Amino acid sequence: MKSAVPNQVIETTTPNLDGFEITRRPLIGFGLLISSVIGTLAVLIFFGAWASSDRIENRALAAGISEIQVESEWWEDGLVLACPLH
Amino acid sequence: MRNAALWFDRRFGLEEHTIAHYAWVIVAIAGVVQMVGAAIRMAFGVLVDPLVEAFGWTPGSIGLAYALMSIVTALASPMAGYLGNRFGARRTMIAGTVLFFIGMMWTSQTQQIWELYVAYGIVFGISQALLLVPVVPAVAAWFRRHLGLGTGIMMVSWSLGPALVIQVLAVLFENVGWSQAFVIVGVVGTGTLLVILLFFKNTPEDAGKVAYGTLETDNPLITSGNVFISTQKEFQGFVYKTNAFWNLINIHFLGCVGHAVILVGIIPLGISKGLSPLTAAGVLTTISIVSVATRFGAPVLAERISPKMVMFASFFGQGVGVFLLLTANTTLDFYIFAVVWAIPYGGEGTAFPVLIRKYFGHTPMGTTYGWQLLGAGLGMALGGVIPGMVFDITGTYTWAIILSAVFSLAGSVAILLLENTRMQLIPNWPEMESKPVGSEIPSVTTGIAEPGI
Repeated sequence: MKSAVPNQVIETTTPNLDGFEITRRPLIGFGLLISSVIGTLAVLIFFGAWASSDRIENRALAAGISEIQVESEWWEDGLVLACPLH
Repeated sequence: MRNAALWFDRRFGLEEHTIAHYAWVIVAIAGVVQMVGAAIRMAFGVLVDPLVEAFGWTPGSIGLAYALMSIVTALASPMAGYLGNRFGARRTMIAGTVLFFIGMMWTSQTQQIWELYVAYGIVFGISQALLLVPVVPAVAAWFRRHLGLGTGIMMVSWSLGPALVIQVLAVLFENVGWSQAFVIVGVVGTGTLLVILLFFKNTPEDAGKVAYGTLETDNPLITSGNVFISTQKEFQGFVYKTNAFWNLINIHFLGCVGHAVILVGIIPLGISKGLSPLTAAGVLTTISIVSVATRFGAPVLAERISPKMVMFASFFGQGVGVFLLLTANTTLDFYIFAVVWAIPYGGEGTAFPVLIRKYFGHTPMGTTYGWQLLGAGLGMALGGVIPGMVFDITGTYTWAIILSAVFSLAGSVAILLLENTRMQLIPNWPEMESKPVGSEIPSVTTGIAEPGI
């Protein structure tokens, strides 16, 4: 035996939400999310720059030239430039 | 069937609960869906070597398909959640099943690397989102109370599913080859999903039943009709304005980076410390098995005590626990780590539905949960690349371990900044103003057996 299906009341009003408002912006939640995104990008740039400078150094050592003379890839230059620690 | 269930209730003294309720059928179906969904992800590990052998592709280029699948799943998750709310979880999961079949067959016939990217990366990616995202909110709809118990039982399949599926795939690969294995898993998986989805009902109302834990004094919730659609849109608009919505995406992301680093890196780390590949794999298996306990227990405790407290303890434990790896050198050290770390890790991700219920009441949580899985998916993808990237640069896994801890501990701080769970953030999801004539709401015992199971 099944329990009877309730007769669906179809209305266009939303009684429980009428008049409800959230006026404040979700600054804390959104701010934390953005902080995580920025922190993650910082970690990726740091390790990317570390890898890039290692690659440039290795090529320089292999060719017996200075690091400035090494022709680096665009992304290697970009990561080293973006990271203040490299 | 019902009599057997009632006998079971009496035999085991389940005064407050009953197994004679259709909600448990829904939980069981959800568990199977999660297992088949997990097959998509788990299949990859055993797929790499055969593809290298058959086509000569590099492991790196094959691995790109996995990364693509993870990102596509993450990006498709909010849409999958919305579709679950709008058209119902059942239809959404059937669409996911069709894509699962296409993806499996296409992958089995792959000849070019781009085909692997499309079949596995994109088709499977979308399929996984359509299968795994709507199922959790659908289970939630079947629990007016005791959602923690329902969620906990379902989440156990997250651990057991991969453990089972990976063994089946390994045996099939060995005996019939990778291509035939995909055909077999595709046909059996699709058939299983289509059969069990015949018994799946999106809401208790669809099945002519009441949600588990409904009291006699509760008014039924509005779950279909034009009020449902319009109110849902309005309600979701308010959800976007809460701190909790954005912070929960953030927390899911941080937690998933934290454990993905360990899950992906533990085997190579163990091998680098002198463990045999088999022993190192045993560490990962131990983590899977031990975490079953807290996968079940965390949502139950979250409902009884406080979801914030349980989640904070899990994230904090996951973060602090990884420091054991900094001094791990022997097999015993690694197994101690596996047991100690698996306890908080198991509880890390399973209390989210309970927390959403606390904040947003009985609103359909598909879209909200889908957005959270976007954070989780991106976190898993990032956490998956960190160990290899760090090892290539530094020659050790030390920085990967530290990063795992930093992400998990940052997640625990973010949990502390969540709103208090004692108060709903938005007024409750609309109830019908009076009980419909002729409906049979069971007695005041919360888990009372329902008629007609």
